[in-house]
Formats: sequence, C-alpha cells, structure tokens
Amino acid sequence: MDKKKDRENQVLVLGIGNEHLTDDGIGPKVVGDLQKLSFPVPLRFQKAFLGGLEIVELIDGYKKVVFIDAIRTKDGVPGTIYHYTPADFRETMHLSNLHDASFLLALQLGKKIGVQIPTDIDIIAIEIIEDLYFSTSLSPELEEQYPEILKEADRLLREVITVNVAGSTT
Amino acid sequence: MKQITIDPITRLEGHGKIEIFLNDDGEVNNVYFQVPELRGFEKFCEGRPVEELSSIVTKICGVCPGCHHMASGKAIDAVFGVEPPPTAKLLRELFYSAHFVHSHIAHFYALAAPDFVIGPTANPAERNLLGVINKVGIEIGKEVIKQRRIAQEIQALLGGHQTHVVMNTPGGVKKGLTEEQRDDILPKAEGFIEFAKFSMQLFKDVVLGNKEYVDLILNGPYSLKLHSMGLVDENNKVNFYDGKVRVVDTEGKELYKYSPAEYIDYVEERVEPWSYLKFPYLKKIGWKGFVEGQDSGVYQATPLSRLNAADGMATPIAQKEYEAMYAILGGKPVHATLAMHWARLVELIYAGERCLELAQHPDITGKELRAPLGKVVGEGVGTVEAQRGTLTHHYWTDAKGMVTKVNLIVGTTNNNAAICMSIKKAAQGVIKKGIPVTEGTLNMIEMAFRAYDPCFSCATHSLPGQMKMILNIRDPRGNIIDTVKRD
Repeated sequence: MDKKKDRENQVLVLGIGNEHLTDDGIGPKVVGDLQKLSFPVPLRFQKAFLGGLEIVELIDGYKKVVFIDAIRTKDGVPGTIYHYTPADFRETMHLSNLHDASFLLALQLGKKIGVQIPTDIDIIAIEIIEDLYFSTSLSPELEEQYPEILKEADRLLREVITVNVAGSTT
Repeated sequence: MKQITIDPITRLEGHGKIEIFLNDDGEVNNVYFQVPELRGFEKFCEGRPVEELSSIVTKICGVCPGCHHMASGKAIDAVFGVEPPPTAKLLRELFYSAHFVHSHIAHFYALAAPDFVIGPTANPAERNLLGVINKVGIEIGKEVIKQRRIAQEIQALLGGHQTHVVMNTPGGVKKGLTEEQRDDILPKAEGFIEFAKFSMQLFKDVVLGNKEYVDLILNGPYSLKLHSMGLVDENNKVNFYDGKVRVVDTEGKELYKYSPAEYIDYVEERVEPWSYLKFPYLKKIGWKGFVEGQDSGVYQATPLSRLNAADGMATPIAQKEYEAMYAILGGKPVHATLAMHWARLVELIYAGERCLELAQHPDITGKELRAPLGKVVGEGVGTVEAQRGTLTHHYWTDAKGMVTKVNLIVGTTNNNAAICMSIKKAAQGVIKKGIPVTEGTLNMIEMAFRAYDPCFSCATHSLPGQMKMILNIRDPRGNIIDTVKRD
C-alpha cells in the first residue's frame, strides 16, 4: 500500500521531544504509554525529535494529527495540560524548529506546495520544569504527577478523536 | 550607561539573550551573547560501555545527530585501537555527505535566503522560507522539501534512522549497501548536484546581482579578521569526515596542521564569568581577548573557514565554484561573515558530488564491514567537520572500555568568541545615536550570528523574523525609553 492510501483514514498521535533531557521528552513518554491502551478508533502512535519542516513530512496525508509536546509558560504550574489547535496556537517546545521553520509556517508551507496537511490538528501540551539536564528520568515533581498527567492526556485524546473523527471514520 | 536587551522568549525564556550596552553618547560600547548550556552530559555518559556512546550522542541535538554519531564512532574506534575497513569508511562518508546535503539546503533556504531574497529589513512576516518560495516559485519550494527528504532517506537507509542514527559499531558499520540500493542512490546524488547548482545560481542572481547586497557583504559591519580552521585531506582539500586539522592565519598562511588526537596541544578552552559556554582559542598563541588580527588567539571554524583553511575542493564543480568565489571576493582568505552563506553553497555542491563519487565507488558494496577489535587503549579522539564547524569527541575509559570521562568541543563552541565579536561589530554598525532602533535593526544584528548557523543543542537558533524578541533601550538610569517588540 502506498503512503498516501495507508494514511488517509488514519489518526496520527505524535509525541515530540528528547527522552534523554529530563522533562523535555514527556511527549514521547506519554505517547509510549498511551500506545498500550485501547481506543474507539484506530490510532497510529509515533515519536519524533523535531518540529518545523520535519513535521510536514511526518503528517503528510493523515486525516488527523494529535501532537503531544512539552511546554513552558510564564508562571505555568508544572504538570498542567493545555489543549490548543492551530487557531489558538501557543509555542510549545518542539513544534517549531528554530533551525528551519515555525510550526505555523511549516503548515502553511506544506499547504502551499501541495502536501496533504491534516484538516484536524490538536495539540496537547504539558507544562514542564527541567529541560537542560541530561537524564532519562522526569524531574521528581513531574514524576509524582505523571499518573495524573497520563490520565488527563488520555482523557483529552479520547475527547478530540471523538469530537473530530468518530463521526467521519466509522 | 544605556542597556539594550534582545531577549528571545522561546524555549530559553530568561536564558538566551543578547545584551547590548550603550555609552552615554548612544553608541554600542559592549555586547554579551549568552546562551544556556545543556548540563550533565558527562555524568550521563560515565560508567557506560563506550560503544553505547555513538547512539547516545545522537540525542544531544536533533539538528546535527549525524555529526555527533560520526565523531563518536571515530573516537570509539580509537578507544578500541581499530581502523574500520575501507567499505565501512566509504559508507560512513556517504551517510555523512547526505547529512550535509540535508542540513545545508535547510540553512540556505530557511535561514540565509530570506535576508537576501526578501530583504534584511523587510516585514518579518514575509521574511521567511514561505516568503522566499512566494518569490522564487512553488516548484522550487517543492524541490527544497523533496531534496531534503531524499537526503534524509539515504541517511535512514545507511544509518538505520534519520535522526537516531545507529550506523556505527566499533571498528566499522552494522550493515552494508546492496547493488540495488547503490543503483537507487546514484540518480538521487545526481539530483543533489543539480539542485545545489541551481541554489548557487539563485544566490548569484539574487545577491551578486544586487550592488547593495554585495556592498553589505564586503563593506558592511560583517567582517572579522580571524584565523581559520578546518579538516583537510592528504591534498589539503576540504574533507568533512576525515583528515588533519589545518589552521591558517589571517593572511592565509598555514599555522598548524595536526592529527585530531593532538587537538589538546593546539586548542584550549577559556571560561568567562558571564557565559555558560566556553571559549576555545589557539593555545600556542594564547588568549589575547576578544580581538581581531594576526596576534589574536581567536579562530573561526565555519564553512568559510574550512574553505580558507584548505587549498581547494576535492570535486570538480565545487572546485570551480571555490575559485569563482575567491576571485570575486578578492582572493584568500575571506573574512566577510556573510560570505559563509556562499561557502556553504560551495560545500553543498561538494556534498552532492561526493555522494555521487562514493555511491559509484566499487568498494561501497563490499562485504567487509567491520575490523576485529584491538585491545582497549583507554582513550580515543574522533573529529569530523560538523556543518557548523570542527567537532571533536574525546573519551577516556577504563581497561574494560567503561567510560570514565568525556569531553566534547562542538562546532558552535569553536565559534563562540567569534560569534560574540560578530554580534558586537554588527551592533556597532547598525545602532547609531539618533537613529530609531527597529525590528529591521534587530534582524541585521541577528544576521551576524545566523551566518554561523549556531547550534546550541537546538537551543538558540534564530529564524529571520521569527524569534520572539523584546529590545529595551534604557537611559543611563536604567529607565526604558523605547521598546521594540517582535511577537
């Protein structure tokens, strides 16, 4: 099956970050754990390191994509989970690649050159504490909250795939 | 003293910033470029089997994982006292040439071209990759994405994964190339060369065809007279993967040529209290401060430095473009910071040509992929040219090959002092008393460090017009008298 056929009815759940940099990799970690659960619609789970132009290729042809990424906001409470769409986008840690293109620019660019950018895009962002120290463990505060973070990410994921996808894919 | 702060409000909130101090006459007195440093890498590596490091180091940075993988692989070979067989070396270099194609295309179109195709002081909403494509055509945009993707696919084929590369193993590589795979790469490599030639022509049309831009490159506040460093092969031609480190002085005369393992005799690192990053300098000259000139210990290790430090390029089209560049810029060495973009395109052509040469090599499909390991030597150095400059990994182990110490000097760290000096010079050139500081002013300062393609572990890159910034102009009492903000 070619790539386009394979992806056209699929929902991609993409965790982005570096799992060797303390909390930076919470997106891929959450994706790894969500992957073990059952969902009402078929989901494809993937991990990535970078945003920007890489994203254009990763999401090309999918019906829907849900990004899970780390975020740091001014005075943000660690462990808080936010839900964005491109319409109310706030900069997360990895969706933009300052080395080539911002997230929104990458989406615009993809559309411009004929890439099939998913019509439904959701972003689940998790407020983190530490991302400058090499460690495969989360910071103690986030580690303690992790079961709740995973639960909330699971709830949000089920919500966005139900609202946006269930009606049209089943 | 007045203070201007350019503070990127990105992932480095509160860390990465440029501080510009004005004197009472409103002129730039000093500039400090500050970036955070990822911490704990050495501790993270200590106690692990050294052969694990080549996979771990790809997690340092998502932008240049292949560079760390290659430098690490070579350092590990040295720890085990082994020299990979010719096929393994060819495969590594083929992977690495594709890595350069991928990276240099991204830099030229996303970071360099917007300043010239759209204009250095143009509306930041348009001064980006999309703006470039709007100007040069959608088909070119498609080619940018396509050629990047093809380069990534070659890396994934040879390296196991395009980002988290697992290609190298002590003494060689884990898998070879079939004849069928080689045949698939050949037309792709030809495509790289054609696209690189097109990109060079675009640069010439847009930049060299515009007197204002040529003037900006040659006579603007963007020149820095420093020594140049780069890896060279046995003919003193540029080589990304292997060779000796050559340093030429500000006049182009060879100062040193040494094996990478001897780096410690030639390069020393300095700590400044205001910076997280170290400042390497030429040890035999010594640290003379952030000063230009023949007596300075500061050097550059950039694409332009590589060309300055070499006697030429090892492939024909790149050599022709190398000669053309120096002929137009007045001979070697060139010290114009913005000419790094031009040098990068010469290297892009070389990388494409080298991909083709390597894919055509009769031994590239050889079956001997790994040499038997020797006795653990206990120490190893591996050096390659990263896109941003000379990259050195130095490992120490115990008798069983367990890591006891790690030292890395990455491309951008080599250029840390030069970057600070370039920013200061640009700021002095564009910030003048009585002239309002605008977003365009900020961008012209950013252009100075963007040329280096700095890579602080994916931390402090700047896109033209996309890094969120606040510039505060303060009076001598510290009160803000003007603010330029980019959201």
